Amino acid sequence: MPKYYHDDPAWSDIDPLPQDDGTLHPLAAIAYTEEYSEAMGYLRAVMAKNEFSERVLGLTEHIISMNPAHYTVWLYRAKTLSQINASLRDEIAWLNPTALKHLKNYQIWHHRQTIIDALDSPDGEADFIATMLEQDAKNYHVWSYRQWLVKRFGLFDDEEELRWTESMIESDVRNNSAWNHRWFLVVGGRDGQAIGEDVVAREIDYAKRAVRKAPQNQCPWNYLKGIVRHAQLPISTLKDFALEFADMRRPDDIYSSHALDLLADIYAEQESKEEAERALHLLATRFDPIRAHYWNYRKSLLEQAGTAA
Amino acid sequence: MAPGLPAEESKLNYAAHIRYWRRNLKTFLPHHYTGNDSNRMMLALFILSALDILGDLQGALSAEERQGYIDWVYHCQLPEGGFRPSPATDFGPARNDENKVWDPAHVPATFFALLILTILGDDLERVKRRAILAWLRTVQRPDGSFGETVGEGGRVEGGNDSRFGYMATAIRWILRGNIEGPLGRVPDIDVDNFIDCIRKAETYDGGLSESPYHEGHAGFACCAVHALSFLDRLPVDKPDGRLRGITNLPLTLHWLASRQTLTLDDEDSIDTLGDESDSAATCHDAHSFLKLGSYPSSAGEQSFKDQPTSHFELQWVGVNGRPNKIGDTCYSYWACAPLKVLGYLDIVDGKPIRRWLLDRMQHLVGGFGKLPGDHPDIYHSFLGLVVLSIFGETGLQDVDAALCITNRAKRQLESLPWRRKILGLDGVQNSDWAQDGGIASVAGYASISGG
Ligand SMILES: [Zn+2]
Repeated sequence: MPKYYHDDPAWSDIDPLPQDDGTLHPLAAIAYTEEYSEAMGYLRAVMAKNEFSERVLGLTEHIISMNPAHYTVWLYRAKTLSQINASLRDEIAWLNPTALKHLKNYQIWHHRQTIIDALDSPDGEADFIATMLEQDAKNYHVWSYRQWLVKRFGLFDDEEELRWTESMIESDVRNNSAWNHRWFLVVGGRDGQAIGEDVVAREIDYAKRAVRKAPQNQCPWNYLKGIVRHAQLPISTLKDFALEFADMRRPDDIYSSHALDLLADIYAEQESKEEAERALHLLATRFDPIRAHYWNYRKSLLEQAGTAA
Repeated sequence: MAPGLPAEESKLNYAAHIRYWRRNLKTFLPHHYTGNDSNRMMLALFILSALDILGDLQGALSAEERQGYIDWVYHCQLPEGGFRPSPATDFGPARNDENKVWDPAHVPATFFALLILTILGDDLERVKRRAILAWLRTVQRPDGSFGETVGEGGRVEGGNDSRFGYMATAIRWILRGNIEGPLGRVPDIDVDNFIDCIRKAETYDGGLSESPYHEGHAGFACCAVHALSFLDRLPVDKPDGRLRGITNLPLTLHWLASRQTLTLDDEDSIDTLGDESDSAATCHDAHSFLKLGSYPSSAGEQSFKDQPTSHFELQWVGVNGRPNKIGDTCYSYWACAPLKVLGYLDIVDGKPIRRWLLDRMQHLVGGFGKLPGDHPDIYHSFLGLVVLSIFGETGLQDVDAALCITNRAKRQLESLPWRRKILGLDGVQNSDWAQDGGIASVAGYASISGG
């Protein structure tokens, strides 16, 4: 049922401000529904008067349902909430289904941050995030919001947070967002400072186990290399492990292009140019030909290094 | 011919694309664009720039229409400078000091408005250029990031990711090139602080994220690289004492090249959740790997042996925005445009990406969809076209990958007298600027005070 204001006695004191598109040749003009056009006319009228009221909350809710990306409406709503001392818990209760309806909307998350920040408590947010991730386990906004929560409420060292992340990786070992969240907790929580040797060992072990589960999954390989680099270990630390998945003497038994890629780096570092070339050649011709141009470029770097030396 | 290659050559259907874009220009957009009511300036740029890339701009516009569109853009200019993205928040004569905070200048709208005026051949003389440059400084936060608008009490609103940094630095480049330091009494943005912000968004796998330690994403990587190019702070071989972004270029190139994928539709992306066969021994785990591993027979491999690249003539290669995500038209732009700007476009093979766009994403009515079989939308249709042009599609005008306008339009901007004066390009050396270490000549100063 469309909702109109012109015959609503509660709005009879308002003269809507129609949209002025200026010229005969507006650009990207949209065939608005009458309902949206009218609601926007009332919104302009109340914003022009800086009216903050219960009915304005209803109006912004109505417009958001038709256009959730209208950044000014969200800001105006946030101001209204604070001006009339509205219940922020009620606001969150309304936001939950709204966010589910508009999974890819940015403004909703920004608004949620504002409200949760004012409430000064993350209670209930983990459950809500779980519901959102059931719809799309890689939703960028949801993970970003989770990271904001962790930072805002100091949850970096909360063991429950790391356990939850592990459960997300376990349910889909290819979910890069979950891997990144692990990095966010383990490394981001230290804000780039060195992490302890025991943690380095734990993380290397964790990523290796994930690789064994799915050797052609780029996420744990990237994570593994990231940890080794962050801990300033030589990349050859990973040589034996990579060889498990890509022994170049038996090309028919190669299980992972990422292992070959890593071996190419290790051989280049060890100045075994021919072996590095062979790894890159196998990648370009057989195990990852969609990136043939890239692997050949890497090969050309080896040659340059050869002439420079 | 390699097995499985399409019998017919993939073709860009010019006539359909021109029809699609002319319709977007001349008729009301369907109401499902209502969710983009606050992005009209962006849609407008996409529409006009697409027609320009197709070489149809002259043909599509009468002189009267061209002037009408220019006037509409100026209609969205605010009295205090900067642009709103549409008249949706314009209070008309009721606008005053108390309510103008709800009708603020908007970074994306200002960026797109300047580009539209450029494409339409306007000289930007009516643009309040000095006011925009002064405002830019106020949309930058203490951490170096840029927001979208300045709200109540000078609060910077909007996300702090590289999207707004991209557009803010582009506005700066359009209005004053890459001269650093104050211009007359107009202060510059804090360039180093912004670069620092980009460096902190670099991720462990070589991508760039929304904010420190968040997940790498091709959109943020692209915006960051473009911003660095506008500021002349892309990585260089030899350090020159200036702070630069993309601190590990080989890793970022690896990440960008890794965005090519054979996961082209939902069916491909069904992963092996809880599948017992998903082990090192069976190697049933990865869609891309599995496909490739099973594709060339040993005989097939033999016959391709001597070709150094594209052995298997992979028919369609898609591009995704993050690891293990499905290919999507717009990410071919977000991942390939930064490669172009960095000077490394040749580390990807444009041919199978082109075939993927033309065979799988191009729609019969013109334009491109997000996923195979999807209806076209303005956003994916525009970025698809830009990518084809970046890869040198015959018959398309060449584009500036960072500005997303034709090089023709860019040259027209660079030829504007007020801009040449600021940059000291007319023989009349902007000597005061050089000698006073940051105070522009009277001429240069006057030239940015237009409007
Ligand atoms: Zn897309």
